[in-house]
Amino acid sequence: MISMWQDLRLAGREFFETLGAVTRFFLRLLVEVPASLLRFGLVWQQLYRLGAHSLLIIGISAIFVGMVLALQGYHILSQFGAVDSLGVMVAMTLVRELGPVLTAVLFAGRSGTSLASEIGLMRATDQLSGMEMMAVDPIQRVVMPRFLAGVIAVPLLAAIFSALGIFGGYIIGVGLLGVDAGSFWAQMNTAVDVRTDVMSGIWKSVAFGITASLIAVYEGYNAPPTAEGVSRATTRAIVITAVAVLAINFVITAMIVG
Amino acid sequence: MTQGYVTPGNVTDPHLRLEGVRFSRNGRPIFRDVSLTIPRGKVTAIMGPSGTGKTTLLRLITGQLQAEQGLVEVDGQQVDRLPRKALYELRKRIGFLFQAGALLTDLDVYENVAFPLREHTRLPEALIHHLVMTRLHSVGLRGAARLMPSELSGGMARRVGLARAIVMDPELVLYDEPFAGLDPISMGVIVRLIRQINEALGLTSVIVSHDIEEVSQVADWAWIIADGRIVAGGTPEALRSDDSPWVKQFMHRESDGPVPFHFPARDYADDLMEVGQ
Repeated sequence: MISMWQDLRLAGREFFETLGAVTRFFLRLLVEVPASLLRFGLVWQQLYRLGAHSLLIIGISAIFVGMVLALQGYHILSQFGAVDSLGVMVAMTLVRELGPVLTAVLFAGRSGTSLASEIGLMRATDQLSGMEMMAVDPIQRVVMPRFLAGVIAVPLLAAIFSALGIFGGYIIGVGLLGVDAGSFWAQMNTAVDVRTDVMSGIWKSVAFGITASLIAVYEGYNAPPTAEGVSRATTRAIVITAVAVLAINFVITAMIVG
Repeated sequence: MTQGYVTPGNVTDPHLRLEGVRFSRNGRPIFRDVSLTIPRGKVTAIMGPSGTGKTTLLRLITGQLQAEQGLVEVDGQQVDRLPRKALYELRKRIGFLFQAGALLTDLDVYENVAFPLREHTRLPEALIHHLVMTRLHSVGLRGAARLMPSELSGGMARRVGLARAIVMDPELVLYDEPFAGLDPISMGVIVRLIRQINEALGLTSVIVSHDIEEVSQVADWAWIIADGRIVAGGTPEALRSDDSPWVKQFMHRESDGPVPFHFPARDYADDLMEVGQ
């Protein structure tokens, strides 16, 4: 029993120490934002690498998620004679919740892990030390462009996810299940509010973009310079991001819904 | 112990000076009391068995690590007292060759050598091209300019690292184990390049190595580090005839001596009997 308490205390201490270290690292990144924006070419390169290369996985996943939502939604709504509201259900679910959340998790799996392992390997092979020795700050040259690119990419990818998801829902709802196309779009147009629904999705995706990118670059930058260290950093980048995104999503939703 | 050789007292205007440096890692002392000077314009070697902290010493010199006690001075500036900006300014005047070259793997050879120029200067592209090609030519790799680091052999990667280390015209070049893991031909090339570059550019060169033969060919002075302190210093020829047990063991490649063959352990018989008990 005593040992369990000790373990819990140690784990709690470790958690808060890590949280403190991540916060310090985040503040250091914030200081570097203006300088990094002046060299936007580096951010642009990473945006292409991290964002554009995630498009395929985001697009395919979004269409399947939209199709499943339409199938499930049709099944439920038909019991109440409200199949005309299928478009609203699909759009609301995607724009407010699934779009930002799933995009962040998929981004962490596709790009976050590659960021963590790339930066971790750069440390293990002395590339970061080499930069420091050439009087080049690795935070500014390596970490910041990748971090900013992630922060910009996730909201854009989330918007694409929601749009393609709605298209997937349309294919199934209208094309397969025979829902009226006019009702599908018109009800969606009336019910989905830009200021509340769309904006909440945008804010969430910005928060998730910061979370996913921060965790990936932090884990990579602080990875022990060994094969095991890099592998652990890569795993942690996806696992911690997934849990953090779900927890933050709950907090933001609770704040919005009240 | 260092009597008769170069001591901190008899080099005027040294490029680099360490005095009473103490440093430990995870509670284990690496340096107890290290004092040495590096004369300007010469090739100086810091030698010693593996694990004596030779690379750590280079990291102390470049301010990547900070000494717990003592003085680390480069060109009259106390490295551990410098704010980050001033430290980076100092590093622009230092070239550093890492053991494996530490090339940026997403850039080709040309861009690796051009990297410091692009980061620190606003030179026109034509001039950057000229400087990069000149440096690559001096290490014999002009023809490999468009190869990626993954396509290079160990020796080639080190030569590219060397070209990158001197592209900013540094005053001091630090070499971390430049001969380790190279075939005899590549080793000979590196030895020749270190000497040529030192003379052509009028540099101060510091080589950290345990390769006695190669160091003897290229170094004007050598310090031997063991047991957390400097145990001897002087010309490689003088060190060969030194009769101190540390120097003798190192220079004559004796497997046992003041540096024991066995890592400290408890009694051999006790270890063997442990399973039975």
